Amino acid sequence: MANQKKDHRKERLDRGIKVRTDGVYAISHWTEMTYLLAPRALLIGGLLAAPLILSYFPYWQRVLSIICIYALLAIGFDFLANYVGLVSLGGGFYVGVGAYCAALLNSHLGLPPIVTVPLATLIGGIICTILFLPCLPLRGVYFAIVSLMFPLLAARIIEALNIFGGTDGIMGLDGFSSGWVEQYVLVCALLVSLFVLRRLVIEDVGLVFRGVKDNDQAVKASAINITTYKGIAVFISSALGCLGGATLAHIYNWAGLSQFGLDYSIIPIAATVVGGGGTLVGPVIGCILLVWLSEELRDLGTLRIAVYALVLTAFIVFKSEGIMNFATRKYQQFERWVHI
Amino acid sequence: MFEARQLMLFYENMLALNNVSLQCEADRIVGVFGANSAGKSTLMYTLSGIMEDIQKKEQMAGGERITIRGEIIFQGRDVTHLKPSLRARAGIILCPERRRIFPECTVVENLMIGGYLANSSQTEETLGYVFNLFPALTRISKRLGGFLSGGEQQMLAIGRSLMAQPRLLLLDEPLLGLSPMIQYMLAKSIKEIRNQRGAAIIVAEQYARPIMPIIDYGYILENGAAVVDGTNKELMDNPDVKSAYFGQ
Repeated sequence: MANQKKDHRKERLDRGIKVRTDGVYAISHWTEMTYLLAPRALLIGGLLAAPLILSYFPYWQRVLSIICIYALLAIGFDFLANYVGLVSLGGGFYVGVGAYCAALLNSHLGLPPIVTVPLATLIGGIICTILFLPCLPLRGVYFAIVSLMFPLLAARIIEALNIFGGTDGIMGLDGFSSGWVEQYVLVCALLVSLFVLRRLVIEDVGLVFRGVKDNDQAVKASAINITTYKGIAVFISSALGCLGGATLAHIYNWAGLSQFGLDYSIIPIAATVVGGGGTLVGPVIGCILLVWLSEELRDLGTLRIAVYALVLTAFIVFKSEGIMNFATRKYQQFERWVHI
Repeated sequence: MFEARQLMLFYENMLALNNVSLQCEADRIVGVFGANSAGKSTLMYTLSGIMEDIQKKEQMAGGERITIRGEIIFQGRDVTHLKPSLRARAGIILCPERRRIFPECTVVENLMIGGYLANSSQTEETLGYVFNLFPALTRISKRLGGFLSGGEQQMLAIGRSLMAQPRLLLLDEPLLGLSPMIQYMLAKSIKEIRNQRGAAIIVAEQYARPIMPIIDYGYILENGAAVVDGTNKELMDNPDVKSAYFGQ
């Protein structure tokens, strides 16, 4: 083997079926179509079937809802960080704003959840974008710090001014009419935003986004106002978080300070690292794994965080490309030893 | 003293270095010439060990697989898979492409960082030597590296690599983006370094005109392969080299 290694090297080639399905031959035979559709069908079918399968385990149904909320935040983070170059730690702020918007609309105007969720998504996205506008010229770690400040600040302001119910939060909100509505709203919202974002980043506007990430001066020199585009991106990302927050408020019939918690800022980032940044699907897989792991570790009590941290560290050190990038490579390419 | 045997380097499936063998004796200047993308920088990275580092990073991030085959022998020792820091300790010092000055440090500080491996008397002696070799640096010794002109930065970069007491100095495109006058001045300094410091020097460069007269032996790289080699007389008489590098 040692001798063989010396005048051999491992070659990595695209599978024939991958090359064929890149072009018009994708529709030539059922194998090609299956090759393309199988992974997508697995994710879509799996997510759509999950509430049905889990109907025997009511506890895990609730976990599925939490997974979807984290996944919405995570694809928003992945989009903002890996396609626009803004590392945002404001996940907690998006969730909190979404939750309070939905709660206020529900408790003051008496709107039903099916109206408050989309309204809170829109209004929350606009509020977050307006508040983030002054920070948009910042980049890198500066933007991250400022965005981390928002959830901390919002919670303290609500506490100090005793508005929106103060530390008690807004209680007694209407719930969804049934568990099925709750889960299918979230699963469908997740699948639709995944589809839209994956298309968006390969459209013209996606090109500008990636340009802003790679070299914002060159984008400015092409007569494009980068602040506008950063604003659009922040709106998309924060609206996803607000959608999650609004649903969360109706799931627990309550909007409170803990919804500005740092969990909503940190876990989506961890999920993006585990799942593979820049793939958009990866963070969803990362969320499924991380939330599942965290539920399984519940028996360990306080040690849970230690084990959780170890798993994360191991991922970052040994597989920093993430699950999705690794799996894509294995699916599309094969390796063999060749003689030099 | 220094020998690279049958170096092959693949970026994934692309052949970047094809069977390159290269030799450099002590007190010699070896030139490596080639157009853009001929493999000069790849060769310099491979010789200095930076490629080992890039390889590891790519592997961790799941990017391109870099395969290195062949042998690099330095003073009778196989250094093919040695880490770049250990190679520098052994005396193989790279002066990187685009200079890579520390922009927030002054000229003297930049030089002192380069002298990390040297003891204090060596540092003092080499510092004096560098200011003697490049008198232009004396005037600006307190200025920040980032505010220097291209020529001054290049002098500083060469000075910094001298501070590490090289036994083999690898200069990657030292004339990049400089005016012809400074190019000739630097070529003269490189020759002086060889004469006065007794270090072997390998220069990778596109501009053959200023460098060709000072080298003892040269290689022409084309698409990763060393297609022509010879002494500077032989190379300058070669009609292909003449038309490609001297426009005659």
